[in-house]
This record gives sequence, structure tokens and C-alpha cells, in this order.
Amino acid sequence: MEARIVKKGQLSELLDKLAQEYDLVAPVQEETLTFFRKVSGAKDVFLEYTNSDVSPKGCFLPQNEKTFNYTYTGDSLEIVKPGDEKKTVLFGARPCDARAITTLDPVFEGEKFGDEYYSSKRENTVIIGLSCSKVLSTCFCYAFDGGPCDGTGSDLLFTEIGDKYYVEVNTEKGKVLADKYSQIFSSQGADQLAKGKEEIAKKLAGEFVRKVDLTGVKELLDDNFELPFWNGDDYKKCIGCGTCTYVCPTCHCFDIFDHTIGDFNGARFRCWDSCMYPEYTLMAGGHNPRPTRKERVRNRFMHKLKYHLDRYNMVGCVGCGRCIRKCPVNIDITKIINDLKEVAQNA
Amino acid sequence: MPNPTALTPYPVTITKIVDETSDVKTFTVVFDDPEIMENFGNKPGQVCMLSVFGEGESTISITSAPTRGKFLEFTVKRVGRLTDVLHQMEVGQKFGVRGPYGNWFPFDIMKGKDLFFVGGGFALAPIRSLIDYALSDQYRSDYGKVEILYGSRSYDDLCFKSDLFERWPGLSNTAIYTTVDRGDENWKGRVGHVPGYVEEVAPSPENKFAIIAGPPIMIKFALPVMEKLGFKDEQIITTLEMRMKCCLGKCGRCNIGSKFVCVDGPVFSLAQLKNMPQEY
Ligand SMILES: Cc1cc2nc3c(=O)[nH]c(=O)nc-3n(C[C@H](O)[C@H](O)[C@H](O)COP(=O)(O)OP(=O)(O)OC[C@H]3O[C@@H](n4cnc5c(N)ncnc54)[C@H](O)[C@@H]3O)c2cc1C
Ligand code: SF4
Ligand code: SF4
Ligand code: FES
Repeated sequence: MEARIVKKGQLSELLDKLAQEYDLVAPVQEETLTFFRKVSGAKDVFLEYTNSDVSPKGCFLPQNEKTFNYTYTGDSLEIVKPGDEKKTVLFGARPCDARAITTLDPVFEGEKFGDEYYSSKRENTVIIGLSCSKVLSTCFCYAFDGGPCDGTGSDLLFTEIGDKYYVEVNTEKGKVLADKYSQIFSSQGADQLAKGKEEIAKKLAGEFVRKVDLTGVKELLDDNFELPFWNGDDYKKCIGCGTCTYVCPTCHCFDIFDHTIGDFNGARFRCWDSCMYPEYTLMAGGHNPRPTRKERVRNRFMHKLKYHLDRYNMVGCVGCGRCIRKCPVNIDITKIINDLKEVAQNA
Repeated sequence: MPNPTALTPYPVTITKIVDETSDVKTFTVVFDDPEIMENFGNKPGQVCMLSVFGEGESTISITSAPTRGKFLEFTVKRVGRLTDVLHQMEVGQKFGVRGPYGNWFPFDIMKGKDLFFVGGGFALAPIRSLIDYALSDQYRSDYGKVEILYGSRSYDDLCFKSDLFERWPGLSNTAIYTTVDRGDENWKGRVGHVPGYVEEVAPSPENKFAIIAGPPIMIKFALPVMEKLGFKDEQIITTLEMRMKCCLGKCGRCNIGSKFVCVDGPVFSLAQLKNMPQEY
């Protein structure tokens, strides 16, 4: 694999250049929260974050997205779709989040049905990953074969080593970008830094606080939909706020609705939805196949630990820990996993 | 090649509206673009997403068989916002359609077999496409006897009256059984629930598929009857309903376990259902 070096002192220059030529999406701080937003240059970018509060999945599946405008009079109908996506660079995706995007790919780029909105953003976006330099107490990416310096999903992966970034060029797309700014992405001496990165990765791997053991969990869930475990106290705490799914980088559920403007015009939108809301599965006539929080909480964890794997042979959780940090009542996926492991062991 | 524009509806024009009951209408539509109509390729049992602009989209079964011509029929019950607006539309007006979606009745595996249809209330709609497919000139010889046992609350609630009393009865090797829960001055036929009537007609399971669609309560009481008659789970086919938004396996909400009803269903055999979580 090819590697380059970017001097830390040149990062601002790079970000400014990128913002001029592309839509640059990068971490920004708003009050105490970190989001990924379109920025005008290096001065907007906030780099002192461990992980953003909301994941950058919105780059590809925006929280609210117009799919088309319509003009409808009853006897005439016209649909106008938005134009092509602008070339975009997503800078600063942490390895868990970059990896999460690869778990969304098979959902939106399915065998039978594609998704022009997702795919055009995906095609037009270069993802620059940024290795972690700290591990949070809620992180557990290692449990799903990820890591603080893992390059899965990143076209380029930046790892901070002293006063430099060691840059791994993981894809052709990444190479094209690095070549375009070859004065900043220097090839000289890059290979010598590979060892330094390995050491950092190794050091960080030892810093995880949460011990998560998935042994037997998938098999247990494969054989048991009804488990007394789901009747336990966890779901009773849930207030159905949907925060866990909004902040999650692998959650992809959406709603579709129309917004009318005047008598004849309007737009169709899709927006993030949450399986934790009762209305999510509520059918006309009042029947609800997941009527209580028990079924909804179970469905969320089944999706993360089983369903996504069954369908796409990919984990549905990347261990970013956001749902743990953000849940107002401390429902903790690592506790659920470890409890399920216990159940599996005692079965 | 995956279809990238799967979320885009295409305009259709309403060519005919039939009032089936006080709250059910059948809309016949054709795509404005003849090429889309020509290549639509719907199979019996599949569904579409209907766009009523301003209200969003709803999943509706295609109730017509592709063998009947280059048009689509949707039989829609007025139950909420979108279906209410749809019910106010008139011939000549337009709405949007995308599809066809989902799997279909296993009409290939059913070849050479008798078909016994059991329908309750307005749920004859999803199975009518297969009835007409099997009764079409083109495919009639592929199937044995076709029997349709159908009931609803009252005479007024029977859908597809012209099929039941005019179009289907004259066809060869076909039997139609109708029943209503409550008789009245308009009804000279049998009175009683569907499951009891199935027991009375007592179809033999030999070389036969049973296709059942109806309200959950009807299905609940009909299944033990079928079992008693000797039908195996593999011989019993039904369709499921879950709330849907995309019909593409992406928006997430229609899952039962690892299956999405919108792409892996809506048609399932009882054998398949017994292997899935009871969460529908
Ligand atoms: C596979 C399948 C086949 C169906 N076939 C038919 C049919 O042939 N005829 C018919 O009348 N109805 C059918 N339905 C049910 C139909 O989709 C709902 O009755 C309809 O969407 C209600 O829309 P509404 O806006 O009037 O109701 P509201 O209660 O106002 O619903 C709001 C929205 O929620 C969604 N929604 C609500 N209930 C359902 C539901 N049961 N299924 C799917 N989406 C729902 C729709 O997007 C709807 O627009 C089918 C449903 C499924 C899943
Ligand atoms: S389930 Fe929780 S820990 Fe896993 S990816 Fe989603 S937010 Fe992160
Ligand atoms: S964040 Fe916590 S309380 Fe809110 S829906 Fe998720 S599990 Fe329930
Ligand atoms: S309706 Fe969206 S996944 Fe099935």
C-alpha cells in the first residue's frame, strides 16, 4: 500500500484548498457538541474531538433530504429531481464511522434496487479518515474487528505521528486526491513512518476499558427470538426518545413524506426515522407488530447483532459507543452483549 | 443491474373506478409512458407504491393479473389520510406509481395442481391477481380445478361482485362459494363465517395449494380447519402486511426477523411463517 506524509503545519493549507475546490465536510464545534458540517475552510474545523456527537453518515444519508419537487394539478404531474451532487471531501471521519459507511453500502446499493441519492453522494465523495489518538471509555470498536487506526472505509487515512500525519492511500480515489495536492502529500520518507503507526495502533489497542465478548451471542440469537432476558429491566428504562438511532452511524431507517407548497407544488423528503418510536410500525387500523418498548428494544439489538449480519454478512454495530454515551437512561449495548453472552454460556 | 431510480414514481391516469363497497374502490390505471406500461412485468402477488402528492405513499397490491391486459388495478380501502384523498379522485386524474415490488405467488410450483382460494372481506384483493392468472386463456391448462371460497360481513361488503357472480362462475372446472356473516334482503345465499364454510366444503389436500388471505381473525380460525383437512404447511400460502415506506428493503420498518416483507414477501407459505419470529 502506498503512503504519504502531510506535515501538521500544512493541514490548514490543505483544508483551505479542499474547501475551495470541493464541498468540504468536516468536524465543527457548536456549543459543546461536535457535528460534521460543510465548512468554508480550516478556520471552521474543530480537531480537538475524540468522536463527534452525531456520526458523519449524514454525508450520504442526510437527516432530511429532498428527493424531488413535484407539480401536481390533478390531471398533470411533473417531477423534478435535484441536480448532480457536488464533489465532496469528508475530512476527519473516525475509523469506526468510516467503517460504518461500508455497512450502509449493501443497504443502499442492493442487488435489485439502488439508490441514486446515496450512490451519487458516495461516488462524489472522498473520505479522509483520521485515526484516533485517544480511546474513550465507551469505545469498543475492537470487538467488531475495527480499531482506532483501522483504514476500512477511508480513501485516505491520516494518523498523527509527532508533527506529521502518516497518510495511507487506501483507494484509487484517495490516490487521485493525494496526487492532485502532491506538494502537500509528500512521498518522501513516508514508508519509514509505517512502524510508528503500528506502534500507536498497538498502544491504543491496550487502552480499551470496556471488555466486550461476543462469543456465542449470534448463535444464541439465531436459535432464540423469545428469550426471558428481553423481559428484564433494560427495556423498562427506555423512554423511546430515538437518540440511540439518530446518533448511530449504522442506523439507516427513514421515513418518506410530502411537503406541500401552495396549491400545486410540493416536495418529497426522506428523513431519519427510528425503530424506537411506536409509530414506526403502526399500521392503519391500529395494529402494531412491535407494540411495546420490549419488542422495539429487542428489535434494535437484534438488528445490530444478528439481522444485519444475516442479510449482508456485515456487523450492524461498529462499536463507536455513541448510543451508550447519549442514552438518557444508560441503556448500554456492551452490557446487553455481555449479558447475552452469559445467557449463551449458561444455556 | 440495480435500478438506481427506484424511489421515483411515474404518472398514471385513472381510466375506471368501481365502487366495490362503501369504503372500497377499485382503480384501473395506465402509465402515461407507454414504454413503462409495456415493460412493467408485474407478477401475481406483487405490490406497488402509490403516490398521492401531498400525502406521501402507500403500499397497495396489484389486484389485476398481467394476463388481463396492459393496465393495473388497485383495490383500495379508505382507512386514513392517503387512501381518503385517493377515494376522492375521478376518472382522468393522475397519481404516481412505482414498482412492482415484492415476491409473487409461486405460480410455477403450483403448475399441475388444483388451487383452493380462501378470502375474507377486502383481502380478496391480493389473491385476485393469481385467480385471474390461473383462469386466463394463456395459463388455464397449467392448473387443475380452481375453487374460490369468499366471504364478508354482509352482501354490501363483498368486493368484486361482477367477478364472483358474472365473470368467474361460467368458467370451466371452477367453483365459487360465497358466504356472508349477516344475511339481509339482498342476499339469498349462504350465511355463516368463512372457516365454517371451508369445513363444510372440505377440500381434499391432495395435489392442491390453498391460498388464504383475510383479516387475522379469519386466518386464525381457518388454519386449524385446513390442518384438520390434512393440508401441510407447505401447501398453505398467504400474504402478510407490515407498515411500509420504501418497499425497497432500505427504510427498515417492515422487517420480521432478518426478512423484509417488502422484498422477501409479502407472499409466504405457512411453513416459512412458522420459521419466522411471531412479530407481525
Ligand atoms: C404488502 C401490502 C399490501 C397492501 N395491499 C393493500 C391493498 O391492496 N389495498 C389496500 O387498501 N391496502 C393495502 N395495504 C395497506 C395499505 O398500505 C394501508 O392501508 C395504507 O397505506 C394506509 O394509508 P393511509 O395514508 O390512508 O393511512 P394512515 O393511517 O394515514 O397512514 C399513514 C401512512 O403510513 C403507512 N401505512 C399505514 N398503514 C400501513 C399498512 N398497513 N401497510 C403499509 N403502509 C402503511 C403509509 O405510508 C401511509 O400513507 C397493503 C399493505 C401492505 C404492506
Ligand atoms: S449501536 Fe451504538 S455503539 Fe454500535 S455503532 Fe450504533 S451507536 Fe455506535
Ligand atoms: S437512547 Fe436510550 S432511552 Fe432513548 S430510545 Fe435509545 S435506548 Fe431508549
Ligand atoms: S418498506 Fe422499507 S424496508 Fe420494507
